[in-house]
Amino acid sequence: MNDREQTPPAVEAPAPASMVDGKEHPVDPRTVKVARVIGLSVTSVIATLPLIFFTIGWAVGGIPGVVYLSLLGGWVVLAGAALSIAYTWPAARHRRLRYLVDEGGLRIRRGVFWRKVIWIPISRVQHTDFSQGPVERRFDLATLTVHTAGTAGASISLAGLEHTVAARLCDHLRPDRVTDAD
Amino acid sequence: MQTEVRRLNRWSWPFIAAGTIRALIIPAAGAVVASGGVLLTRLDFLSLLFIVPALVYAFIRQRVYSYRFTESELVVRDGLLTKNVRHISYERIHNVALVRNPFHRLLGVTTARIETAAGGKPEALLRVLSLEAADELRRYTLGKEPQATAADAPLLQVPDGELVRLGLISNRGFIVVAAVMGVFSQMQWWDQDWFENQDWMRIYTSVRSKAPDWAAWLFDPGSLAGRLLLGLALIVLFIGLLRLLSVAWYLVRYRGFTLEQKGEDLRAEYGLLTQVSSLIPVHRIQLVTVSSTLLHRWFGRTSIDLETAGASTSDSGLSGPLAASGANSTRQWLAPIIETERASGLVHEVLPEVDIEAVEWKPIETRAVGRIVKRVAIPVTPVTIAVAAVLTFSPIPLSGWHALWLPSIVLTLAWLITRRWVRHAGYALTENAIYFRSGWLSRQVSVVRFVNMQTVSMRQSPFDHRRRMASVAVDTAGAGATGHRIRIPFLDVDVAGAILQRLYTETRSTEFRW
Repeated sequence: MNDREQTPPAVEAPAPASMVDGKEHPVDPRTVKVARVIGLSVTSVIATLPLIFFTIGWAVGGIPGVVYLSLLGGWVVLAGAALSIAYTWPAARHRRLRYLVDEGGLRIRRGVFWRKVIWIPISRVQHTDFSQGPVERRFDLATLTVHTAGTAGASISLAGLEHTVAARLCDHLRPDRVTDAD
Repeated sequence: MQTEVRRLNRWSWPFIAAGTIRALIIPAAGAVVASGGVLLTRLDFLSLLFIVPALVYAFIRQRVYSYRFTESELVVRDGLLTKNVRHISYERIHNVALVRNPFHRLLGVTTARIETAAGGKPEALLRVLSLEAADELRRYTLGKEPQATAADAPLLQVPDGELVRLGLISNRGFIVVAAVMGVFSQMQWWDQDWFENQDWMRIYTSVRSKAPDWAAWLFDPGSLAGRLLLGLALIVLFIGLLRLLSVAWYLVRYRGFTLEQKGEDLRAEYGLLTQVSSLIPVHRIQLVTVSSTLLHRWFGRTSIDLETAGASTSDSGLSGPLAASGANSTRQWLAPIIETERASGLVHEVLPEVDIEAVEWKPIETRAVGRIVKRVAIPVTPVTIAVAAVLTFSPIPLSGWHALWLPSIVLTLAWLITRRWVRHAGYALTENAIYFRSGWLSRQVSVVRFVNMQTVSMRQSPFDHRRRMASVAVDTAGAGATGHRIRIPFLDVDVAGAILQRLYTETRSTEFRW
């Protein structure tokens, strides 16, 4: 399931024929790693704060030993739950995220509990852009953003695409290419 | 082709200054409040602070503001120190609205407001132009001859009687009350001491002594019926007054509402004091909603509003007069009120490919009833248990079983209402548009033509997923935060998938035109 289905694309290929196949693709599995690195580090920083707080309180003598122990127990449970969610959530999200490209547009299917399928026709794309954050750059990943004239769907992002794939998608979804479709 | 530079009318400065002062009123009121009213006694100081700079600014602005027409765009120049040149291509202009209040009419001028798809603020506000200049502006920007004479019969004319009805139907009276209260509370115009120094007891006794004998019991301090009646009468009076204010509000605002079609454009004119003339190219209409509340139907009426991509939202110097359809500030009236039989005819006339009467409605899933009732049952259950516990353990001489009245009544009602709601909801797909209707007491039908769809989406909540249901939504340009739109809930997941695919196919094969 986590295998990437595209063959590694030639960078200079002008028409991204391999991607425009009307089939669903997962995004790059390395996004799971990226999201885990970010999620786990943020979670552990936030989780450490109450621990430090309790321990200081106990050491100073403001919190009795019994209360401290029960707080500690509660902290272990909560922090454990938070960390395990931070670990498992990116994989679940990745498993549910699929995109599909055909000559007419882009379809994104996502959501673990609340699911959503959205079709973005190229004929309605105002412009596209792609961006790379510092962590994404390390993994050679990029986020594609498609802008439409709509309101709720005025800009739709697809994160975790391999850099070259994102660039070619960006190109394929360019509105002036619309004459090629249909 | 390029015309000479045009300037604003020489009477522009009072209007520009008025606009500036209006924008400064809130900070000024803040300053007055902060000073504890001391500033009110120094009106000379206040005027120096606000009015003189506003006038100076207005004079300068009038001198530096200019515009000219080229082949394809309107070029507006503005600014004294920072020169600002704005190119507005005619293609992008959605609406050229002329707004005239009594002062404008006195001086024979008008404010012109140019709206594009950008939404929010108007692209340009020409304050003010002579009527000839405004005609020229419309001729260039919308590429039309100014309507020579009253050629066609208007699509709709709303007589005063209808506006009175509309005032009775929709409760706009609160707006007037709220505005008046707001002004009073800000300005503290009434004299607190006067109220406190009145001998209210004496007034009461004098009224009582003048009352006829048959009404004496109303003032009998022991009479419960009297007090109840008095209270009721006051409430009825208050409601009556609110409705009267509502009628007045509509008469002032929408007096003489006329809708005309001039080729590709719709032109709406209305207003008693401030007259608005709004011109909208038909193809800019993104969504049309026909709605009727229970009161509307009692009067046999409906109202129709529409969304254009460039509708201004709120404060933009001329807040409201244009974009003002009921609670939805981003929508405009196609018809504030119209006989129900004529409503779909009017929509059809404006958008020939849309015919609400002719579509074949498809239902949403009746399974939805069970789900909605269950949603009601979840909060009702703990309340029932709590009531039962109270009845059992308190001295109230009723057995705990009486608590069961609550769920039986609430759930039966919920079931009955939901069944009607679900039965009335529906959608329809025709060759070129999607329709969605919903509501039971207050009903609404919305239409979006395929050319105006942007993205299409399907959603599933976890509950939807368990019952194999989904909802389908259509996004359009210029959609406001409120108001009815195409969002079809409780569809079978396969049906929803098919609709989604159909909508996508339709969208990708059409070109969106701004």
